[in-house]
Amino acid sequence: MKRLLIGVLALVAMMGVARAETLRILMETVPDTEQVKSLLSEFKAATGYDVEIEAISYIDMHTKLVPQLIAPTGAYDIIIVDFYWVAEFTKAGWLLPLDEFAQRDGVDLGRYVPKVMATTGQVDGVTYMLPFYNYVMGLVYRKDLLEDPAEQAAFKEKYGIELGVPKTWDEFKKQMEFFTRDTDGDGQNDFFGTVTQAQRGDCIMMQSSNFLYGNGGRYYDENWNPLLNTPEAVQGLADFADATLKYSAPGSEGFCFDEATAVMTQGKAYSIITFNNLYATINNPETSAAGGKVGITGVPGGGLMGSWGWGIPKSSPNKDGAWAFINWVESFDIAKRRAIMGNAMTQTALFTDVDVVAARPEAPSLEPLVAEANAFPVFTYTVEFVEAVGREFNLAASGQKDPKEAAEAAQEAFADLLRKDGLIE
Amino acid sequence: MAQITLKNLGKMFPPDVVAVADVNLTIGDGEFFVLLGPSGCGKSTTLRMIAGLEEATSGDILVDGRRVNDDDPADRDLAIVFQNYALYPHMTVAENLAFGLKLRKVAPTEITSRTAATSRMLGIEPLLKRKPRELSGGQQQRVALGRALVRQPKAFLFDEPLSNLDAKLRATMRTELIKLHQSLGATIVHVTHDQVEAMTMGQRICIMKDGHVVQVGPPMEVYRNPADTFVAGFLASPPMNLLDARVVDHAGGLAVALGEARLAVPGAFNGAYGAWRDRDVVFGIRPEDMHDGAGPGGRTPLDVRVVAVEALGPEVVLVAALADGREIHARLGPGFVAPIGSQQRLHLDLGAMHLFDRETRKAIAQRGTG
Amino acid sequence: MAAGALARRDQRFGLLLTAPGLAALLLVVLFPLGFAVFTSLFDYTLVHPNHDTFVGFDKYVEAWNADYLPDALWTTVKFVVASVVIEFVIGFSVALALNRVTRFKNVYYIILLAPLLMNPVVVAQLWRMILHSELGIMNYVLGMIGIGKINFLGDPVAAFWTVVLVDIWHQVSFMAILLLAGLAALPREPYEAARMDGASAVQTFVHITLPLMRPVIAVALLLRLIFAIKTFDIVFIMTKGGPGTATDLISYFIYRSAFFGLDVGRASAMSVALLLIVLALTIYLYRYMKSLA
Repeated sequence: MKRLLIGVLALVAMMGVARAETLRILMETVPDTEQVKSLLSEFKAATGYDVEIEAISYIDMHTKLVPQLIAPTGAYDIIIVDFYWVAEFTKAGWLLPLDEFAQRDGVDLGRYVPKVMATTGQVDGVTYMLPFYNYVMGLVYRKDLLEDPAEQAAFKEKYGIELGVPKTWDEFKKQMEFFTRDTDGDGQNDFFGTVTQAQRGDCIMMQSSNFLYGNGGRYYDENWNPLLNTPEAVQGLADFADATLKYSAPGSEGFCFDEATAVMTQGKAYSIITFNNLYATINNPETSAAGGKVGITGVPGGGLMGSWGWGIPKSSPNKDGAWAFINWVESFDIAKRRAIMGNAMTQTALFTDVDVVAARPEAPSLEPLVAEANAFPVFTYTVEFVEAVGREFNLAASGQKDPKEAAEAAQEAFADLLRKDGLIE
Repeated sequence: MAQITLKNLGKMFPPDVVAVADVNLTIGDGEFFVLLGPSGCGKSTTLRMIAGLEEATSGDILVDGRRVNDDDPADRDLAIVFQNYALYPHMTVAENLAFGLKLRKVAPTEITSRTAATSRMLGIEPLLKRKPRELSGGQQQRVALGRALVRQPKAFLFDEPLSNLDAKLRATMRTELIKLHQSLGATIVHVTHDQVEAMTMGQRICIMKDGHVVQVGPPMEVYRNPADTFVAGFLASPPMNLLDARVVDHAGGLAVALGEARLAVPGAFNGAYGAWRDRDVVFGIRPEDMHDGAGPGGRTPLDVRVVAVEALGPEVVLVAALADGREIHARLGPGFVAPIGSQQRLHLDLGAMHLFDRETRKAIAQRGTG
Repeated sequence: MAAGALARRDQRFGLLLTAPGLAALLLVVLFPLGFAVFTSLFDYTLVHPNHDTFVGFDKYVEAWNADYLPDALWTTVKFVVASVVIEFVIGFSVALALNRVTRFKNVYYIILLAPLLMNPVVVAQLWRMILHSELGIMNYVLGMIGIGKINFLGDPVAAFWTVVLVDIWHQVSFMAILLLAGLAALPREPYEAARMDGASAVQTFVHITLPLMRPVIAVALLLRLIFAIKTFDIVFIMTKGGPGTATDLISYFIYRSAFFGLDVGRASAMSVALLLIVLALTIYLYRYMKSLA
């Protein structure tokens, strides 16, 4: 009996070891995940670890993560953290601080673009994540239309200014209006100045943020006082509602990224404010009618900062293995090879690296995007904030609520959550 | 009341199952007519074609001389009583009775009076407020009957209405139906597989087999002169003894050779049976035409071995074996006793014998040209 | 006396046989339910996942006062009534039609069952693509036959009916198949009796089919009603409750409270309240249906 027990225990222990040799990661089904997957065999060769990546769609990630993070021992060794879960995850104490690991292995945290590091790297001076990729939003526009002399002349005649890559928000607004037209004369617009994505939740919040920044608005000041009912913020929301109802494809009230990007890749819109890492998709002639005809620039006033970070949950079954992986995947060589494959870079040196630029000529123009990006409010209740404020913005964007009224309601909802989090009185 | 005529009536189910073939019948006005046969013989299908629930694939159905093949069941003005009663389970007895009248837009006062009269006649007045599931089988049967009666149709079609009742109740209902027929004088077509029902109730019976009519006639007529071995073997219990035999010359006349035994044919039949000399036939004799005593004379002896003696009270059924082992049944008086295995001499009344063609199974005429 | 002892022994044996099942039920039904009720009395959040702070019925009050709760409740009522009623009408028609069919019955069954076998998330994604206002095939087809484009998910009224119709597309076969099973099990004889009594097709339907089907109809409506109240996936994928609050169903509302608001206590309070409402509704409808039968 005793021997049997020991045998069983030994077996269990061995299984434990065998299991520790496999690192499990929960990731999103995006190209950046595929890039990592393609390099895993090298990690195995270098360290002996197998890596199992479970890739699911974004909407399921948070729901799937939380129970694993609460558990004493979760299913994932490594997770990737979206920037707006950062405060929630750190405040709840779900993430393991990485400073000791970084110091031990001499990782230079200064290699990252500071704004990215501040978003998905450090919280209050403690390093919880290494930035994985950024998804700063940029303005993708139809280069061919801007360069068309006929368009240039018509634009100049109508507005009295030159048609070119927009430098100011006002210029962009004029362009949205200018390019929205009815090409087949059936009384309905069929080419649009821009494409908005106003579905409740992330979709509207991500994109409408750029309209806020474009008008010089901000979500909150340095003391976390909410600023959503300022004239700039109200104007930003009004602009977004206008764009959705007048200058974008019908149905934009319910669009998210897929639907909005589709309008652009079908060649039915002049511009779209979207994640810079979608630029490659829109500019690919094989999959996009706008392929080879688009350029990307920063949103006037600064685009929305967005990024993902690698983190180790406290519930990680194998924390050493997890760090070994993060250290490897973020090493300069591997990061560079991912950048060449199209990864939205987070390390400053990569944007101007000769090999990267050779593969991706637009790389240098992406650095200012990241450097000038504006942060989204990240606090414990960011997810609920997105929900509550997103609902008000969506009411305005679908014409059901006056922008001013919606902005006031959003301000109140934001303030409630900030109070709940103890950030304001 | 009505006369129902079937002309060359046929029913074929796809792809090629013939359920009823070439049925010709005339059911007289006010007649109690029984369709009898084993299950699958086509009797129910014939009834359902008359009702209009099945479409005839050939032939004509006439009610009072009018062709009704293409009429809706409702327009034929016939009422059917189903084997499972088919009461409307969600309606009370009163509603069940009134439903058909309501649909026919009969005046409410008339409905009330007819329902009352019918329920009084059938003795179901106390049940009027109940639902079918609260009734016994016999009560449901009466309600089903009432639903047919209350409509006052041209004719009634009974589809084995007694088969779900227990033996005692069935006997009672049999008598009641006969009385009902007498008091209403209605045309009734009654389908059954029970030969007792057929014999006791029908003014005429029609025996069907494999979709064909085998014989039609008054019950005793059919009983006495079965058209073939099927009819002979179907009616009565125990039925007619049917034994393979040969007709042979015997003592200047004819005899039936039953193994070693020779049963002399009564002289009256010699003319008709003469043509069958030295040919294979089936010999038939009813159990009641065999006796344990020689009687007043004219009976033919036959030696048998006792296999079983079934005392039923008013009579005894003797199961006996011939010399070659073939078994026969005889109905004897209540006093008969004999040890199993003992030899016994039976006395046959050959004036009641039948001969059938071994090949066609048809009865061989006893008199006339032959 | 002996019979009594026997009955007691039978009872004990029966209890023994059902014990594992009862225990499993207790574990998977009663425990979570009890946990939800318990949790609803505490300030249990995902940030502080513990039962340290007892708050009594505060969470219920909080839930009741939650912004936009009345909108969500009203939307849910409209959604449930619309989808269940339309599904019943379509489902019954389909069931009646199929009940007569003898050839290719299996083919029809497979076609009917196909949507039901699909994951609701897939259904919602599929329709989201089909109904894309600018690039979807639906508006393309509508355009070809001369009907203008419909802003399926962008217009508040259209979005509500779109969600209702997608739910119907997905769930109507459940109703149809349940009713079809009921129809197939009906006795044939009363129909023949009705034909002899001279009932027309409509009269037969009203006087025979409907009354006989009442118990099945009651069950079908009740089940769909409960399912409809719990509808979540379609809204979650297709509209996120928008535009505005046009398609904000109560289950999604509760979900957000738990997973976006991180307030499990409040979400539990809402769930418990919803459960009580559904329970009351079920009992009432069940009684009502039974009184009819």
